[in-house]
Amino acid sequence: MRIRFALFTALALLALVGCNRQSQAPYFEGKTLTIVVGYKPGGGYDTVARLLSRYLPKYIPGAPTVIVQNMPGANSLIAANYVYAQAKPDGLTIGTFNRNLPIGQLLKVDGVKFDMLKFAWIGSAASETTVLAVRDDLPYKTFDDMRKAKEPIVVGATGPGANTYDFPLLLKEFLGVNLKLVSGYSSSADIMLAVERKEADARAGSYSSIAPFVERKLVHPVIRSRASEPEIANLPTDESLAPNPRAKAMMALRSAPEVVGRPYVMTPGTPDNLLNILRDAFVKSLADPDLLAEAKKSDMTLNFVSGDQALEVMKEVLNQPKDVVDEFRKYVKFGE
Amino acid sequence: MIESALDGLLLVLQWKALAFMGLGILLGFWVGLLPGLGGVTTLALMLPFIYAMKPHEALAFLLGMHSVVATTGDITSVLFGIPGESTTAAIILDGHSMAKKGEAGRALGAALSSSLLGALVGALALALAIPIVRPLVLAFGSPELFMLAIVGLAFIASLSGHGARGMVRGFIAGGLGLLLATVGQDPQAGVARFTFGTLYLWQGLDIVAVLVGLFAVPEILDLVVRGSSIAGDNTRVGKVGRGVLEGVKDTFHHFGLAIRCSLIGTFIGITPGLGGPVAQWMAYGHAVQSAKTEEERKGFGRGDVRGVIGPGAASNSKEGGSLIPTIAFGVPGSASMAVILGGFFLMGLVPGPDMLTKNLAITYSMVWTIVLANIITVAACLVFLNRLASLTNVPGELLVPVILVLIFIGAYTANNQYGDLVVMLLCGGIGWLMVVAGWPRAPFVLGLVLGKIAENYLYISVARYHASWLTRPIVVALFAIAVVVICYPIWQARRTRRARA
Amino acid sequence: MHNKASLALGVVVMLVSAWGVISAWGWPAKAALFPLVICVPLFFLAAAEVLWSLYGASAQSASDFKLSDHLPQSVALRRTAVAAGWILGFFFGILLLGFLIAVPVFVLAYLRVQGKRGWVFSAIFTAVVWAFFFGLFDLLLHLPFPAGWIPSLLGVR
Repeated sequence: MRIRFALFTALALLALVGCNRQSQAPYFEGKTLTIVVGYKPGGGYDTVARLLSRYLPKYIPGAPTVIVQNMPGANSLIAANYVYAQAKPDGLTIGTFNRNLPIGQLLKVDGVKFDMLKFAWIGSAASETTVLAVRDDLPYKTFDDMRKAKEPIVVGATGPGANTYDFPLLLKEFLGVNLKLVSGYSSSADIMLAVERKEADARAGSYSSIAPFVERKLVHPVIRSRASEPEIANLPTDESLAPNPRAKAMMALRSAPEVVGRPYVMTPGTPDNLLNILRDAFVKSLADPDLLAEAKKSDMTLNFVSGDQALEVMKEVLNQPKDVVDEFRKYVKFGE
Repeated sequence: MIESALDGLLLVLQWKALAFMGLGILLGFWVGLLPGLGGVTTLALMLPFIYAMKPHEALAFLLGMHSVVATTGDITSVLFGIPGESTTAAIILDGHSMAKKGEAGRALGAALSSSLLGALVGALALALAIPIVRPLVLAFGSPELFMLAIVGLAFIASLSGHGARGMVRGFIAGGLGLLLATVGQDPQAGVARFTFGTLYLWQGLDIVAVLVGLFAVPEILDLVVRGSSIAGDNTRVGKVGRGVLEGVKDTFHHFGLAIRCSLIGTFIGITPGLGGPVAQWMAYGHAVQSAKTEEERKGFGRGDVRGVIGPGAASNSKEGGSLIPTIAFGVPGSASMAVILGGFFLMGLVPGPDMLTKNLAITYSMVWTIVLANIITVAACLVFLNRLASLTNVPGELLVPVILVLIFIGAYTANNQYGDLVVMLLCGGIGWLMVVAGWPRAPFVLGLVLGKIAENYLYISVARYHASWLTRPIVVALFAIAVVVICYPIWQARRTRRARA
Repeated sequence: MHNKASLALGVVVMLVSAWGVISAWGWPAKAALFPLVICVPLFFLAAAEVLWSLYGASAQSASDFKLSDHLPQSVALRRTAVAAGWILGFFFGILLLGFLIAVPVFVLAYLRVQGKRGWVFSAIFTAVVWAFFFGLFDLLLHLPFPAGWIPSLLGVR
């Protein structure tokens, strides 16, 4: 009996010691954290993730190995479904996807098997602003000049669902500007070349991708969407020019996800303490001067948007009245 | 200009740049050899390492790696019939047939020497073209790109079998390829076409999975059926490897063809928007056309060395070419170039017209890097090419499991999804049936790689120019070329028949 | 053999193109145009090939490699079936066990059964292949290899 008691005590003590040791060693020590990217290597989402993967370990207690895995397909729906349902909520899987996923959810696209509101939101690594840029040798200095244009202004685009297409489409529909959308270009870089050879007059896209060509004096931006960056803060926004509340609602809905330009989320049910560690690590990484210097070299502007802010944006997008959604559906499709 | 060229050379010849280039070559060598390892993925993985390097060193590293991938990809294609890279599939048709005849050494010799020649010609063409390269690229708008795709599709005629029925089969295969190219979300209306309700097919079929299935699966089945090594009974010990020199001689024997195919590769590389896999197939089509008689044409696909030299020459010259849109316009000519472009920004280089004027020396140093990397690779390969060639003597039952593991991973890495494996297996089934039935596979691939280009640029041309694009001079010229390409084999067949009668 | 395969392919292409026309019918004109332009002629070309295979003489093969024909057809067919079985087996092995387990199992099984090699040789060969595979694709490149269905059912990663 006594022996049994002694054994029991010893075991209990051991267990206690074990527990104690566990709580002292950081959770992430010796573990591997995976960032799942919804695109192939080489694109913007991938570049940002790979940049972060090199700085995050510095700011996570226990310095885990952080790796990037590409899970491309279906405009990153596949990766989002994976992180939502298949990954474990153990804080070791982070997903970064298409910023337009909430639009996909709003439009009830086949294949959406997640709820953006239920992800454990870390936040966003950047806001992306869509601008319309027009070739410098054309007489359109401002957006007002463009509205007065008699000749149609040719806007090159990739296809429906991309900001190269949807942004000018709404401008054309609601702001009475004579745009002619030509879609089918294989990438935004291809459109830029078409602009250069005067096949297209203008191009819409995220400011970060257009900035190098602005510096080269090939194009200049004339109008932007809601999210802003210092250099283009003075441009008019599409929403401010909207002639009626309906038009404004359409534009607002299209551009809302851009505030959460590089979303980072974890599997629903991830414990709060782990989520907070990662939120903290993101804040610190994105303030790291070395990281910012590297980002600047690649013409990336990174700024942290908190998880709570991101959730607010998701709510704004997803809690739309039915008639707004039905009208929105006429113009915008879910895409890249 | 000559001064910049020399300055560029001096930039490359610094020992540190050379050392990094060597490292890049070493990596690229393996990446090209292994079908599961894509050049793009590896380049993306390597980007972080270039922070510590100076611009010209980093460039030597990235470009050294990149330009070797295509060269050694040819080796895998020839030896095992597996496309080592999506850009090196065309060389399988004749290259691997030669390997099966016990001429692996000769095929490799021809492939490597022609690809070296291609790199040199491509670099020379670039160096000479730099002053006119901007207007040249800008002259090729969407209508011209559409017509280029049509010229490519016209090669179906010469890649088809013989007689009316052969043509019919070729065009069915081509049509099937075109149809498969339409799978996925379309850029005009945003409709998901032929996706069976799956997410996997939204982005379209992956060229790597299709090519691996189409070419590698029939080869493996055949290897098991024969129950021997790849070279089978055709080998006499030591003979397999000795052909390397013979292959090198072959390249010089068909010097004109090699030069022409190099130029085709350079040109397609320069033209952004056509994509890597197109170059080899166009070059292959041209090589087949070089057959003087119909009898000769039948030899293609059964191990004609010209079918190796053509694509071999194109595979490397296009790399030099695709540098141009990347550096002069900031528009990457291929996925790998997109990553390299990312590297440019990291190094503080801004692509644009300045690269052709103010920073011309750096541009030339890139051209030199491609040339040097190729010379080094080919020289290194020649040393142990014989050993590589003797892999075709390894018993089939040892090769088959390794090859199968590699092709499954190779297909899987396309999108990291099981869907890739299904596509690979289905295409394998189709490929095997086509081989058994005597249908040509080349038109199928041409249709697949050109389908999207043709559709998109046609829509853009019509939307932008209505009908007026049809009268643009380059469009008319390309149309004439397409007509010639289609009619040539028909005219040739008729001439042969008349000669016989 | 040639004609039969050609017939089979022709029928498949006819079905695929007919199905293509039917599914393209409901799409907006811009999305449907290209598939229709391809499918309609494709259907008739394939029909012509089918008729040829049924009633015409056998045709010459294209400029493409020919399968080895030095074996009797029955043997060749049987071996092809065996090879296809291995390939499909590997595929289902990957689905059930995941890449990390399926690769060594398959290599070992193939060497033992098809290659008739000894245990020692097979084990070493398998170990080398697996080490290479694991080291390169998992450790170095971090490819996402999902666990197979059986391990996930058992709850092992």
